[in-house]
Amino acid sequence: MASKEITPQNTYVIPDTYKNTTPAAPLDKKTLNRMVWRSLFLQASFNYERMQAAGWLYAILPGLQKIHGDNKDDLAASMSHNLEFFNTHPFLVTFVMGIVLSLEQNKVDIPTIRAVRVAAMGPLGGIGDALFWMTLVPILAGITSNMAVNGAIAAPFIFLIVFNVIQFALRFFLMKWSYSTGESAITTLTEGGKAFTRAASIMGVFVVGALIVTMGSGTKIALQIPNGESHSYSPHTVVVPTENVSNFNSAMQDETGQPLESTDEDGNKTTAGAVDLGNGYSQVTYMEMVTTPVTVNIQKILDSICPCILPLGITMLLYYLLSKHHWTPILCICLILVIALVGSGFGIWPSIWPAVG
Amino acid sequence: MDYSFWQIALVFIVTFIAAIDQFSFLESLYQPIVMGLVIGLILGNVETGLIVGGTYQLMTIGNMPVGGAQPPNAVIGGIMAPVLAISLGLEPTAAVAMAIPFALLGQYGVTLLFTAMSVLMKKADEYAHNANTKGIVFINYLSMTVLGLIFGAVVTLFFIGGATFGQTVVNAIPAWLMSGLTAAGLMMRFVGFAILLKVMMARELWGFFFIGFALAIIACAIPDLATPALLILALIGFGLAFWDFQLQSKANAQPALSSGGGDEDGI
Repeated sequence: MASKEITPQNTYVIPDTYKNTTPAAPLDKKTLNRMVWRSLFLQASFNYERMQAAGWLYAILPGLQKIHGDNKDDLAASMSHNLEFFNTHPFLVTFVMGIVLSLEQNKVDIPTIRAVRVAAMGPLGGIGDALFWMTLVPILAGITSNMAVNGAIAAPFIFLIVFNVIQFALRFFLMKWSYSTGESAITTLTEGGKAFTRAASIMGVFVVGALIVTMGSGTKIALQIPNGESHSYSPHTVVVPTENVSNFNSAMQDETGQPLESTDEDGNKTTAGAVDLGNGYSQVTYMEMVTTPVTVNIQKILDSICPCILPLGITMLLYYLLSKHHWTPILCICLILVIALVGSGFGIWPSIWPAVG
Repeated sequence: MDYSFWQIALVFIVTFIAAIDQFSFLESLYQPIVMGLVIGLILGNVETGLIVGGTYQLMTIGNMPVGGAQPPNAVIGGIMAPVLAISLGLEPTAAVAMAIPFALLGQYGVTLLFTAMSVLMKKADEYAHNANTKGIVFINYLSMTVLGLIFGAVVTLFFIGGATFGQTVVNAIPAWLMSGLTAAGLMMRFVGFAILLKVMMARELWGFFFIGFALAIIACAIPDLATPALLILALIGFGLAFWDFQLQSKANAQPALSSGGGDEDGI
């Protein structure tokens, strides 16, 4: 499971197993509660690369210190793998914390813990959004803001109290429940051993595959590539002195001397040519070349191959650079920035990204 | 309207707290309905503050941070709307509309900040590799302080500068820069995905990755399923994983059985 390639020296490699595999004492209630309070700061250092990772590590640190306190290498390993990409719903995070901490406490293999963490965080994001931002807040804010508009000073307080009672009840309950569930399920899990790690990894990579679509679909390009031009003739009729008709020859005939023809929108044909009006003047019908630029919508073509092919392609490219070329995450970020800014055109050439706002 | 030093200081402090609260802590103090009351108290016009806060709150209901998307920033908008309403004597709806450019600025600022903060993760990695717990705590406190200070400074500036100032600043940002940075912000998460893949992927697991990707495309293409998509997908993923677990544990159990019963078989 772990990367088996040669890694450059002085690069930290997260081990697969802890050095001390004796299960630690179960975490006491005080530590669990302390971590619930810390979970409030899950998004303290939110960023686009790892999202909530550092906040997540901050939240579970008291538990990790208790569990791996006797072995600094194990603490380093645990901290390092818990600093990988993490993103879930902030109000439901204690559920993931409880399970992960029960696994950490039993010194389960790191790939297993990682896989469980990834498998749990993804779906919770959707559940939390549905629960909070689409149900609770619209209802609660809808009622209280109408009260506020009517001048009721109690409105903001009702909003705050209801919102936070629900939030804290959920945070404490989920932590307690998922930690004890993880504890009791641990024997079943560890007996399964390899098969369980594999199953958890299957769920993990499955969820990452799904996240590329659900979280990554915003990456689109709005590029319209000019695909040459379409040419058509537009007829014009003028009356000129007959001796000047020959001036229009090039606009009336093609190279072989055939008269030019055009068809208008209604399908009526017009043929170029000159009609002698007999009074020294001729009516000349000549053709003017009209060019219309044709553009190709790149995103449409990409979508017709496979929707979200860009997010998938970028992820695969980054995976390739990280695992086969030992790129660091920072280097990957720089690459993304360069791609994004070059694509934006610096105002010199047209931006390939959708306009903002 | 002239502000006293204390009013300016209080607006700065309130913004500092609200900026942090929009992502951490209670995640409810920053809501416009609360900020309206607070700003009303600071500027000495509770009623207007309350009404404007409620009006702004109603507008944000359809604009929640669902799925990590950044809506126009409710902290800056929610503070500037009552400020404009009270200082310029505007109607609540007009004040809310005038606060939108400020909220957009806040949205751009957050995008920029979240992109820039990615760089901090390298330092965080170092701390983690050395089991430096204080370092991790420091990173989080530092990030919150930076967020609070930037928001506090910007809002205080707007607070003093007034309405036209916000529009001027918005107009001064070139469109290409915003589109480029937004695109970068959206793509940055793929680095996180790739890191996860690097540590979890094994040759025989690629199939499951692509199944997850393909099923997500199908689920997201159905409007009714777009919201619960991840839950449905998780159930499918769980089903696959559980099935595999049963197959694998059976496969592991059989050789053990046959070796245990080997003697009988031999005879």
